[in-house]
Amino acid sequence: MATTGTAPKPRPLSPHLDIYRFTLTMAMSIAHRITGVGLYIGVLLLVWFLLALSGDARSYGIFSGFIHSFIGRLVLFGFTWSLFHHMLGGVRHALWEAGIGLDHPMRERFAQITLIGGFALCVIAWIIGYWVR
Amino acid sequence: MSSFRTPLGRVRFLGSARLGAQDNWRMRVTSLGLIPLSLAFVVIVLTLLHKDYNGARAEMGEPLPAVLMLLFVLTGIYHTELGMRSVIADYVHGHAREWALIANTCVAVSLGLACVYAVFRIGFV
Repeated sequence: MATTGTAPKPRPLSPHLDIYRFTLTMAMSIAHRITGVGLYIGVLLLVWFLLALSGDARSYGIFSGFIHSFIGRLVLFGFTWSLFHHMLGGVRHALWEAGIGLDHPMRERFAQITLIGGFALCVIAWIIGYWVR
Repeated sequence: MSSFRTPLGRVRFLGSARLGAQDNWRMRVTSLGLIPLSLAFVVIVLTLLHKDYNGARAEMGEPLPAVLMLLFVLTGIYHTELGMRSVIADYVHGHAREWALIANTCVAVSLGLACVYAVFRIGFV
């Protein structure tokens, strides 16, 4: 049996992310996963905080010095935003599982609320943080 | 024909682990619990933010913040462990997946235990 000749036809591939048009609901889906992974890493910060506080004044001073630095504030801001964004994303998923808001205008609205609401709640928390001393 | 078993008989019980529904349900329950717990966590952090070591330690050692912190940490870490498990299942293949899943569980348990130890130490020592 002759095996020479044409190469096998390439198998059809399932469509992947890069062929889809960018949509807000897609971006929010990706952001939900990224903020989730970010929060996993953020737990390290929480562990550091609790262990430092359970130690002596010096160990807490090192943590406090970091978290009040520019980089520390940036990381904490990212953590706060991720927390609220992921929380609203979770509410969105819970509503979808209850069969609410799966149609076109509502799912777009949900995506917008997640995006804006996540930033809004984060900023509110930070305003309270700076305001209440 | 090397076997008298039917094609269905050969593949039965070799499919999914059939734990998906359980994982999904636990994900839902923990996420629901994490809404109030996360808000409580943010409030606790806001009250500790401008306190010095002694003030923060005294505040964190109170029963209510300590219990809320423990609930948030344990529920949150269980939730992130489940979440990371599905991320690993999506992106990691072959034997690396098994190692990644083991590492995920070990990291989650270690972080959870460290937090519990720290909160107890703050409250009792």
